[in-house]
Amino acid sequence: MSAPGPALPVLSTERLTVRFDGKAVLKDVSLEIPFGQVVSIIGPAGSGKTTLLRSFNRMNELMPGAKTAGTVRFQGVDLYAADIDPAEVRRRIGMVFQKATLFPKSVFDNVAFGLRAKGVEGDLHDLVEEALTVVGLWSGGAEVLDARALDLTAGEQRRLSIARALALKPDCLLLDEPTAALDPAASAKVESIIHALRHECTIVLATSDHTQAGRLSDLTAYLDSGRLMEYGATQELFTNPRNERTESYLTGRLP
Amino acid sequence: MTATALSRAARNPRSPGERFGKHVLFICAALSAVLGAAVIVVVALETFRFFGQVSPARFFGGLTWAPLAEEPGFGVLPLMAGTAQIAAGATFLALPVGLLTAVFLRYYAGGRTASILNAVVTLLAFVPAVVYGYFALNYVTPAIRSVWPGVEGFNGISACLVVGLMILPTIVLLSREALGAVPNSLLEEGVALGATRRRVLVRLVVPAAAIGIAGSVVMAAARAVGETMIVTLAAGNPTGPTWNPVEGVRTLTTFLAQASLGDIPTGSIEYGACFAVAAVLFLLTCGMHAAGGALMARGQRGKPGAVRS
Repeated sequence: MSAPGPALPVLSTERLTVRFDGKAVLKDVSLEIPFGQVVSIIGPAGSGKTTLLRSFNRMNELMPGAKTAGTVRFQGVDLYAADIDPAEVRRRIGMVFQKATLFPKSVFDNVAFGLRAKGVEGDLHDLVEEALTVVGLWSGGAEVLDARALDLTAGEQRRLSIARALALKPDCLLLDEPTAALDPAASAKVESIIHALRHECTIVLATSDHTQAGRLSDLTAYLDSGRLMEYGATQELFTNPRNERTESYLTGRLP
Repeated sequence: MTATALSRAARNPRSPGERFGKHVLFICAALSAVLGAAVIVVVALETFRFFGQVSPARFFGGLTWAPLAEEPGFGVLPLMAGTAQIAAGATFLALPVGLLTAVFLRYYAGGRTASILNAVVTLLAFVPAVVYGYFALNYVTPAIRSVWPGVEGFNGISACLVVGLMILPTIVLLSREALGAVPNSLLEEGVALGATRRRVLVRLVVPAAAIGIAGSVVMAAARAVGETMIVTLAAGNPTGPTWNPVEGVRTLTTFLAQASLGDIPTGSIEYGACFAVAAVLFLLTCGMHAAGGALMARGQRGKPGAVRS
C-alpha cells in the first residue's frame, strides 16, 4: 500500500488532530486521497470540513492558537516536516476559499500574482490566458485582462479565484464550498469546470450540499464533529451508508 | 403590576426627575458649544480688525515677520515655513518607524509582546510635552552636537526628532486601525497562492490600507503643527527666518507662546497680529484634522475584496 509509485496517495492523513486554542476541531482523522480522483468532504456546519481542507496546504498555522498533531503526507512526504517550505506546499496544493477575496487589481494581476511570487520571469500572458481559458473567462479579448477584478459578477469572481490557483499548475486543488452563494446558472458553470478539471489534478472539495458531492466526486468522506465517520466510493456511501450518522445526515434527519 | 407596566413607567420621559436630568445634560452640552464658539468668534473678530490695518496681501505675501520692529513686517510666510519644516521633518522621521511598528503589532507580535509594546506606545502619548521638550534640550541636542559640532544649541533637528517621537503613537495606533480594516482573507489568499507573508503584506495588505495610513499621517502632522512646548524648548525662537535646520526655527506656535509672555498692548496692531497668526494655526490644524479624519473614514469603508452583490 505504501510502496512508492503511482499507487501512492496524493494526500494522506494519519491520526490528524487540529486544535484551536485547545479545542479539538479535527479528531484523529486518517484518510487517503488517491491520485486523480475527485473527493468530497461532506458534513454538517462546524464538522471540520474547512479545517481538514486547510490542513492539506498548511493554512491552519496562520491562525494564532492553532496546533496540529498527527501527520499529513503529500506523495509520501511529511508536509509539516521542519525542512518543508510552506510556500512551495501551497503552490503544489492550490486552494480556493469559500468567500473569494480578489485583489483590488486587474484580472491579469490577480492571476499573475502567484506566478510572480514564484519568481516566474518574462511574459506571463500565455500562462494567465491558459488559466482563464480553463474557467471560461478568456475569449481572446485583451479587455478582460485589464478589467478590474472587483467589477466582475459573483460567479465570474469565483471562477477567477479558481483560475488564480490554477495558474500555478497545482498537483492538487482544494475547493471550499465552491458554489456557495452563487445562483444556479453560475453554480452549474463552476461545477462543469470542476468536472473538466479532474483530468488535470486531484481535487478535494468541501461542500455542505451533498447532492453536489454526489454529482461531482468519486469518493466522499463524511465528517461529523471533527471525526471521520465514513469514507468510501460516493455511490456506495450514498446508497448504502454503513454509519448511522451518515445515513441520518444524508436523509436530512440530523439537526 | 406586570413587568411591562413597570418598565413603561421607568421609561416615562415626562417624569420630573427625567426631565431635570435631561436639562442638566443639555446645559452642559450647550456650555461647551457656546464657549467653543466664543473662542472662534473672538479670534475671527480680532483677525478681521487686524486685516483692517494690515492688508491680507501683506500678511500672506510678506516675507518678513517682525511685528515689534521699528519698520514692522507682518508677513506670516516665514512662520508657516518654520511650522512646515518642523511638521514635515517630524512626520518624515516618524512615518517609517510608526508604520513598521503598526505592521509588527498587527501581523507579527504575539499576544504578550503585542500588549507590552502597545502599552509602551500608548504611554508615549501621555508624556507631557514639556517633558519631551526638556529631553530634547538636555539630551538630544547635546547628543547631536557631540557628533556634529556645527549644530546650534537651539536647532530644528532636535525639535524634529522629538516632535517625531511625540507623534509616533498617533501614527502607530491609527495605522494599526487602518490595517485592521483590511480583511484577514486578503493575507490568506496571498499566502495560499504561494507568496511569503512579507510579500503579501508589502504588495497587497499595506497598499489596501494606504488611504487610512495616509489619514493617520495627516492626523499626526496636525499634532506636529500644533506642538508648541517641544519646539520652543528645542528650537528656540529666533527673530529672523531660518531655513537651516542646524539653527533655531520659529513657528506659528512658538511665536504665539513668546508673544503671550511679552507686553503687547491690547488693541495694538501687534495684538491683532497674534490673533491673525492664531487664526492661521487654527484653520491649519482644523483642516488637517478634518482631512485626516475623512481619509481614515474612507479607509475603513473601502474594504478591498468585497464581493459585489
